[in-house]
Amino acid sequence: MKNVSPLKKTLLYFFLFVGVIVSVFPFYWMFVGATNPSGEIFKVPPNFFPGTHGWENFKNLNENVGIIRVMGNSLLITLTFTALAAIICTAAGYAFAKFQFKGRNQIFFMLLVAIMIPYHVTLIPLFEIFSNVGWLNTFQAVILPQAAYPFAIFLMRQNMQAIPDSLLEAARVDGAGEFHIFFRIVLPVMRPALAAVGIFLFMFQWNNFIWPLVVLQSQDMYTLPVALSSLVGMSRIDYGQVMMGTTLSTLPIMIFFLLLQKQFISGILGGSVKE
Amino acid sequence: MKSWWKMFLVVGLVAGVLAACSGNSGNGGDESSGDEGGEPSGEITVWGWNVAAESMELAVDGFKEQYPDVEVKVEDIGRLDVYEKLTVGLASGGNGLPDVVMVESDRLANYYDQFPDALTNLSELGYDDHKDKFGEYKQSVTQNADGEFFAAPWDVGPTGVFYRTDIFEEAGVNPEDIKTWDDYIEAGKTIKEKTGTQMVPIDIAKDDALYRMMLNQQGAYYYDEEGNIDVTSEESKKAFEVIQQLENEELVLNNDGWNGVVSATVNGEVATVPFGVWYSGTIKDQAPDQDGQWGVFQLPAFEEGGNRAANLGGSDLVIPSSTDNQGAAYAFVEYFTTEVDPQMKALKEKGIFPSLNSAYEEEFFSQESEYFSNQQIYKLFSEEVADIPVANYTADYARAFDTMSDTQASILLDGTKIEDALQNAAEKLKSETGREVTE
Repeated sequence: MKNVSPLKKTLLYFFLFVGVIVSVFPFYWMFVGATNPSGEIFKVPPNFFPGTHGWENFKNLNENVGIIRVMGNSLLITLTFTALAAIICTAAGYAFAKFQFKGRNQIFFMLLVAIMIPYHVTLIPLFEIFSNVGWLNTFQAVILPQAAYPFAIFLMRQNMQAIPDSLLEAARVDGAGEFHIFFRIVLPVMRPALAAVGIFLFMFQWNNFIWPLVVLQSQDMYTLPVALSSLVGMSRIDYGQVMMGTTLSTLPIMIFFLLLQKQFISGILGGSVKE
Repeated sequence: MKSWWKMFLVVGLVAGVLAACSGNSGNGGDESSGDEGGEPSGEITVWGWNVAAESMELAVDGFKEQYPDVEVKVEDIGRLDVYEKLTVGLASGGNGLPDVVMVESDRLANYYDQFPDALTNLSELGYDDHKDKFGEYKQSVTQNADGEFFAAPWDVGPTGVFYRTDIFEEAGVNPEDIKTWDDYIEAGKTIKEKTGTQMVPIDIAKDDALYRMMLNQQGAYYYDEEGNIDVTSEESKKAFEVIQQLENEELVLNNDGWNGVVSATVNGEVATVPFGVWYSGTIKDQAPDQDGQWGVFQLPAFEEGGNRAANLGGSDLVIPSSTDNQGAAYAFVEYFTTEVDPQMKALKEKGIFPSLNSAYEEEFFSQESEYFSNQQIYKLFSEEVADIPVANYTADYARAFDTMSDTQASILLDGTKIEDALQNAAEKLKSETGREVTE
């Protein structure tokens, strides 16, 4: 950056500035909406400053859909799902990438096909299965169906292929068991991929809508998207509540991303093996 | 070996967490026990959305005075979400459905045609006794071809033109002089000239509400009474001619979606908004400071002295056959739709307009509404209900709705000739639904 001319630098900052405004403004506007009464959002000229109605909106929202309980549900479901799915998908991806077994390619092919089946096709059969088991309106009904998430398995398999066989062989020669190898050697090396898949799985379940909507029956079991959706009625929408709800549902994603961001940057495969 | 134990530990932990989450696993009134023959008892679950669900909540206390042994649990679910859940539940043979569901009138036929045995026949339970308490329009949408009720009529959406009194005054236009759509267009031109305000907001590409109101007003709809495609009718042409003329005179404000229409209403970008009675609640909610600046008149007629009544929106209650407490479910439906008290609570507190005729005799209907320039708006709407023509929505309502919104866009935005556009729409609907097109 030392040799960049002032003009170029000004231009650079100008475009960066515009970029930041464009990407940050919607969030800011959401925050403004969340802290103002519903009518303010449509006013001309618009009110560009956060108001003092935030607590009121929050109280209404909690009265209306029990937002605290709902956020708890969403967090519990999403974190359990992410942990469970990450383990299953990583293990499955590892098996597909590094083990030789009969029918491996056929099974993997079927997995790829499964990615392409539209969700609505499986919706009703899946619903019948869970209702026959008597698991309607339970959290496990939300968590389990996608715990072996085909796309995440695919992603992990592709990443696992980068692990040199010699590394695994070296471990075996040293007398490590297969689980030891998986937990002690493969997982640490896979941290960046795991973080990426983790964020992906977290986002998927956090935003998951149709399935929880269909399978959860009572308001105290709802997840955030389902509860927020119930705020939108025929003709009357309290936009203050909606904005407050959206703000609350965006925050955890931001926090989760910031926590794992380091993993993206610092995780490097190199260094674990010298060839 | 050690690593095996770790694996077990992980699996065990996960299973433990899952087991912990499974509290409260009751689905839609499974625990309830309907008393055969005797007084209804047990618990019922009811699905509705937003203000409609809140209205049912308001009715629970009064209901329990008559039926103290019945517990009512109202689930507030998003409007379109109700349909998603209802479709899945009906498709899987009634699994996970509640005891009572609210469905919009124009969607009812869709469910009844697809799953005729999945909805309880209310006439067999005695609902016919209440038949005369509702207008002809409301009866027709809740009855099957044999005149039996498969749904109980609840709210109705008589239409009107909401207008800004201050803008009309500024332009020197008297709303009482607007009797036909031609008058409406003339008034629009004057208002545009004097104040620069446009006349009507339309979400051109996605919602044909104005067209539907005009069809219904003329006694027509997407389909005729036999269920044949009727979009090429004289009434349909007339409706689009008016809408096209509005567009040609640049009186239409093209809005994007519901929020766009609301925003235009609140910001004074339009002088009038033709909609169902329920829009009065939206205006009051979103523009509380425009107190006294709004009024209502009935839809203009197509010819002097013609019909000015139409319906937009409204909903009804159905009882899925899968209910295990039919007695209590019916008791609630009967109470909620045929007693005056719950109607008045829903109207006063949630702005939902009843279809029960006896409710209109309440003193509340003759009250002047302060917000609407001291007009007796509820009286105006209630007197309109009896004149609403019957409409045959059919099971293919949603298809026609999409097709006609597209048609509206092609006429207004691409300048397609009305006859051609309607012909295309009819062909498209014919191939999609297999229905005949009327001559």
